[in-house]
Amino acid sequence: MKRFLVALGVLFLAVGTARAQSLDDLNIQIHGYATQGFAYTTNNNILTMKSSDGSPQWTDAVVNVTAQPTSKLRVGVQARYMILGNLGNAITLDWAAVDYKVNDAFGVRFGKVKTPSGLFNETQDIDPSYMWSLLPQGVYPLMSRNSLLSHYGGVVYGTVKLGQSLGKLEYRGWAGGRNLPGDDGYFLNQSESGETLPNGISWVLTGEALHWKAPVSGLMIGASNTQYRSASAPLLYGPYSGAENLSVFNSPSYFAKYEKNKVMVGGEYIRLLVPYAVALTGLPVNPGVLDERSWYGMASYKVTDKLMIGLYDSQSVDHKASLGAARDSMDWAISGRYDFNQYLYAKAEEHILHGTLVGYDITLNPAGLQPNTDMTIFKVGVSF
Amino acid sequence: MKKVFGMLLFMALVAVFAPGAQGQVIVIANNSVKAADVSKSDLKDVFTGGASSLKDGSHVTPVLLKSGAANDEFLSAYVGKSDTAFKASWRSLVFSGQATMPKSFDSDAAVVEYVSHTAGAIGYISKGTPHDGVKTLAVR
Repeated sequence: MKRFLVALGVLFLAVGTARAQSLDDLNIQIHGYATQGFAYTTNNNILTMKSSDGSPQWTDAVVNVTAQPTSKLRVGVQARYMILGNLGNAITLDWAAVDYKVNDAFGVRFGKVKTPSGLFNETQDIDPSYMWSLLPQGVYPLMSRNSLLSHYGGVVYGTVKLGQSLGKLEYRGWAGGRNLPGDDGYFLNQSESGETLPNGISWVLTGEALHWKAPVSGLMIGASNTQYRSASAPLLYGPYSGAENLSVFNSPSYFAKYEKNKVMVGGEYIRLLVPYAVALTGLPVNPGVLDERSWYGMASYKVTDKLMIGLYDSQSVDHKASLGAARDSMDWAISGRYDFNQYLYAKAEEHILHGTLVGYDITLNPAGLQPNTDMTIFKVGVSF
Repeated sequence: MKKVFGMLLFMALVAVFAPGAQGQVIVIANNSVKAADVSKSDLKDVFTGGASSLKDGSHVTPVLLKSGAANDEFLSAYVGKSDTAFKASWRSLVFSGQATMPKSFDSDAAVVEYVSHTAGAIGYISKGTPHDGVKTLAVR
């Protein structure tokens, strides 16, 4: 309901601003894209797909409507229909926002907005914008991307020129709230262990990011951090009820990218340190700490105007988990993308995976998880 | 051997003295834009959505050609991207809610027409296209 109220508010503002202006003056645009993926894995099923049989249950369709009544004011809304294995199969609101850019040094965006953390967070769900079929899962987990993607609230942004010898500094600051419903992929492993969060979890969060565009052409170095306030959510576990209490935690990220001519090289490190306590009526409080540290390094090369190839190495480790394959996740990926024209593209990607920390569920792997998996992905996409 | 050497020398001279791609395209702007010239770096920022003003403070809005030789030459010379990659990068901004896709036109004449009537508009056209009613920006 909240999301539709936000969308309604944005549309109301758009209509209000539109008074006395023709449709042409409003610069109304409609864009969209759709992708269809196919995944085949050896050993384990992954991403809630029956991928060991070969699965096409990986579809995204997005429609976006924006209006720009003045050069400084934009309003827009974007909806998505997504299926990923057993997840999704619903229309959701990606974002609905009003953006007022005073000048290059200061702008503000509010509504439901993308959270501008890390190197790819704002674009991690926009398949046409990058070469990879699957971004490094330790940092941008597809099954639980809603936990990072957006928030209700605002973002301030701008660029400060530091002079020719020092480059430019882009800043972002954000604040607001985020709710993850109980059936989100983020909680899949928890619900499989018998714990359910009927209302999901809601956080109040703030964050900031700096991107230094160095005087070396094509080089960007950045850092971001999101601070989550403490949160408490009702929890059910068999006959017991209680709460899951999360303490204040941070999610810092450090990243860099060099992109020039045909070459792109990038990398990112992120840490998620979450102290929590499970308090169930009649049982002793059970405290714990999640300490996931993930990184990736990637490189791509544009072979022709239409063909791009690349590879990445991604690793993720939960330092508080017991030793074993479920403690970490390692992924070597080799990838290619071919753009038939500006609208239609195809992708192919091969992953060599070790460890089961990210992307697996028990339901689809009833015989237990194997430590190693190879995955082949094909994708086609169209955008307009 | 002499013929091969001669041919290589001829090709090298052609490569050195042939007009570059940048010479085939000119950058035009609405007369409301105060600047008389623009740096390559500012031009790239404006056409990739990274900036909406020039160094002198003039607010500008980019206007694109949909396709064609002038479009390819401009993107190659000043943006450093192919048309496909350029459009993909704009879509990335559009779908993440950070920008609106610039207006694009089928012909140079249509770009001139739009730029001449739109305050702050900045575009590019083939050098030989008549462009009365707009100003030409020198690229530094």
